[in-house]
Amino acid sequence: MTLVIGEIERDAVTEMINIAIGRAAASLSALVGDELRLSVPHLDFLTPEEAAEQLDLETGGADTVAVRQHFDGRLAGDILLIFPERRSLALVRSMLGAQVPLDQLTDLEQEALLEVGNIILNACLGSLANQLGLALESSLPVYLRGRGHRILEAGAARPAEAGEMVLFVHVDFAMLKNDVNGYVAFLMDIPAAQHFIEAVRLHVAAHLAG
Amino acid sequence: MKTRTVLLVDDSRVARMMTRAIIERSHPGWTVIEAADGEQALEAARTGRPDFVVVDVNMPGIGGMEAARRLRAMLPDSAITLLTANIQEPVRQQAAALGIGFLSKPTDEAAMRVFLSGAAPL
Repeated sequence: MTLVIGEIERDAVTEMINIAIGRAAASLSALVGDELRLSVPHLDFLTPEEAAEQLDLETGGADTVAVRQHFDGRLAGDILLIFPERRSLALVRSMLGAQVPLDQLTDLEQEALLEVGNIILNACLGSLANQLGLALESSLPVYLRGRGHRILEAGAARPAEAGEMVLFVHVDFAMLKNDVNGYVAFLMDIPAAQHFIEAVRLHVAAHLAG
Repeated sequence: MKTRTVLLVDDSRVARMMTRAIIERSHPGWTVIEAADGEQALEAARTGRPDFVVVDVNMPGIGGMEAARRLRAMLPDSAITLLTANIQEPVRQQAAALGIGFLSKPTDEAAMRVFLSGAAPL
């Protein structure tokens, strides 16, 4: 199943995600005391394999750590916060402060990243839900570690079928002082993406109608 | 300054650490007790009779909203707020309907000070 999306819808979806990521970036910036630079959201229809390859390409094929949450309601899908593994400890340090000893920092790494994910992903989902006037339920965050395939497949609500396309939206961000970069990605299957795009279309039409 | 007791309810140990640090900086000498889920929070509220309660929403078990509803009934004179990453309008509206506050994560000392100034007088 494929989905055709017009330029106006693509632009509207990109803008809404942009606002949602901006809200999430403000939360992350407050949490770590650093300014974030954000990319324009990339929106593609890919197979899960292509999405994993895309992720590996951008992370140089290195292991990543990720926090994944499933969301449900009028919209459904998965949202992920992904960091290169080698910089995850630096992120935790910037969040908890230099006063926490390194051995304790390592112990807390997974829990700290889950809490970062909880804040960032909910800020993003909450902004999206508020913009569209919808209520979304989100699962508890799950911590994952590995390369693209593992990150994108593990914890998915249901296994992807061969050749099935997904809407893959991702935004790159970089912290200016801490030299930490990462990605926020949305994954939706095609029926879910259709609902999303329709909700965006209605939202834009309502605004234009005043 | 009279000392007070604050109950922190969050399934994330790191979140509790960060919130505790803010409270201890702004209100040294206050007692901070912790609970990792809603059920523990109800027990801690029974034994600790906190003046203030700070509750996360997205937690395993009965969840923060239900925990807050029961805490509101148990502790009618205490100040209770959600402290959550879930910034959706319906969550704010449910908090208002329960007569509890709403703080979004990450919180800061200024927002926490405002909340901690709001309990009934001793």
